[in-house]
Amino acid sequence: MTPYARVLVIVAAVLVLLSACKGPVESTQLIVDTDACTGCGECVEVCPYGAIEIIDGNAVIDPSLCHFCYRCVEQCPEGAIY
Amino acid sequence: MIGKTIPLLLLLPALVFAASLDGWMDVQTGGDSLSPEPGRLELGGMLSTDNWTLILEEQYSHEDSSGIVPRILNTYSRTDIDFIVDAGPVTINPDLCWTVDLGDKPEMVLPVQAGVAYREGFIRPGLSLAADFSENYHVFVKGLYWNRDLKQENGYDLAWTESRLNGGISCETSGFTLNMSGLYHKTNSDFIDYESTWGRFDIAFSTEPQSLPAHFYVTGDVTYSFYNGTNFLGNDLADRFTSRIRLVRMIVPSLAVNTTFESVIDYDGEIRPACTSAESRIIYHFMRSREVPSIITLSGKLSTSSIRTERAVLFSRINFYRGLSLLLNAEARSTPTSVAGAGDTRKWIVFGPGLEYQLATTLRVWGIIEQERTDLEEVEVWWRVRTGLEFYPGSLSL
Repeated sequence: MTPYARVLVIVAAVLVLLSACKGPVESTQLIVDTDACTGCGECVEVCPYGAIEIIDGNAVIDPSLCHFCYRCVEQCPEGAIY
Repeated sequence: MIGKTIPLLLLLPALVFAASLDGWMDVQTGGDSLSPEPGRLELGGMLSTDNWTLILEEQYSHEDSSGIVPRILNTYSRTDIDFIVDAGPVTINPDLCWTVDLGDKPEMVLPVQAGVAYREGFIRPGLSLAADFSENYHVFVKGLYWNRDLKQENGYDLAWTESRLNGGISCETSGFTLNMSGLYHKTNSDFIDYESTWGRFDIAFSTEPQSLPAHFYVTGDVTYSFYNGTNFLGNDLADRFTSRIRLVRMIVPSLAVNTTFESVIDYDGEIRPACTSAESRIIYHFMRSREVPSIITLSGKLSTSSIRTERAVLFSRINFYRGLSLLLNAEARSTPTSVAGAGDTRKWIVFGPGLEYQLATTLRVWGIIEQERTDLEEVEVWWRVRTGLEFYPGSLSL
């Protein structure tokens, strides 16, 4: 591995460890993994607040409408929302 | 008039002969004691020439409700029409999408404690423009507008509209990409006197080192998002710093490992870790010389934020005769749940064998029998059958 790639790996590892060690606090937004999302729309159907829409083949969550009920997290067949 | 018509008539056959037509179909259905009649039908067609492409996609979904686990409770259709025009370095893409809720109208909880409304569908026109200024510079702008058909129980229409404007520029050099983009979203309902706007400005930097050892691939990206707006409680949306790194290592030609780390940090006056996730996937290809290559995929994902999700999946396709393959799917998950009596977290396991037939790239038919064991008030067990058919007849030159 080149020194540059090694630095990248180390920086990422430090960021991950820092986040993990301090312990998570309340999220202000849910995350959609666009690599895993297939745009099937099941999250749209279970969201009781109309906060999710499929745009360009991916689920997009409106942060002003999301109430953190986590139904989309449970429903997503790909585990792409967390 | 004749002077204009003759060149057009001369041009028309050239346009027609240069065109190609594609079509595809995907059907999935199945049943179990909870969702006796789930089904999904997707149809698509694409007509394209050197300069433009017209895509029509139609989706029809139906799933029943269940007594134990909340699932999709609706029957709906969704239609997408995209028209993409390539004019040199500029791409123009007007599109139109609409949905129609055909079954029981899904209930939507309205903001500002305005009660509930019933969803009947929406129509959404959109327009996007993109241009490549050179090999390295790319700009885009995209506008979307939703007119939602939301009605209260007494039949009053909420006049619910949303508009979204997104634009940005990206600059690429060897191994590095810098993206800057802005997003503005407005939601409005005159009937309940609700208006909400929020915006975001992203600065993203991604890199892909070029000089790595053989069979080793690394990408990394960091994004800082400045937010403007409030959440449903009226609190300001925090700025967000996201970093992600992906490592792909091909151990031998048939075996690859793909690992992704993601870290998200929020900033709203103080720095707070928001989410950490890691995912790893091992992919093993074998019997590649047969009609359908065999594959075994083992993956695991863990995320921790204010919630914790865990997922492990084993999938295998083992080809045993011509296009026939044996499938095996096993999945274990843990997520927060809204199921009454299940506690904060629901754990479940789904596993089962299946059979698949593939005819080159034209046809794929599959069926799988699964058992699901879910830890609710007590462990509930049920069986499910899922089947699917994908059909792509190929491209037809006109």
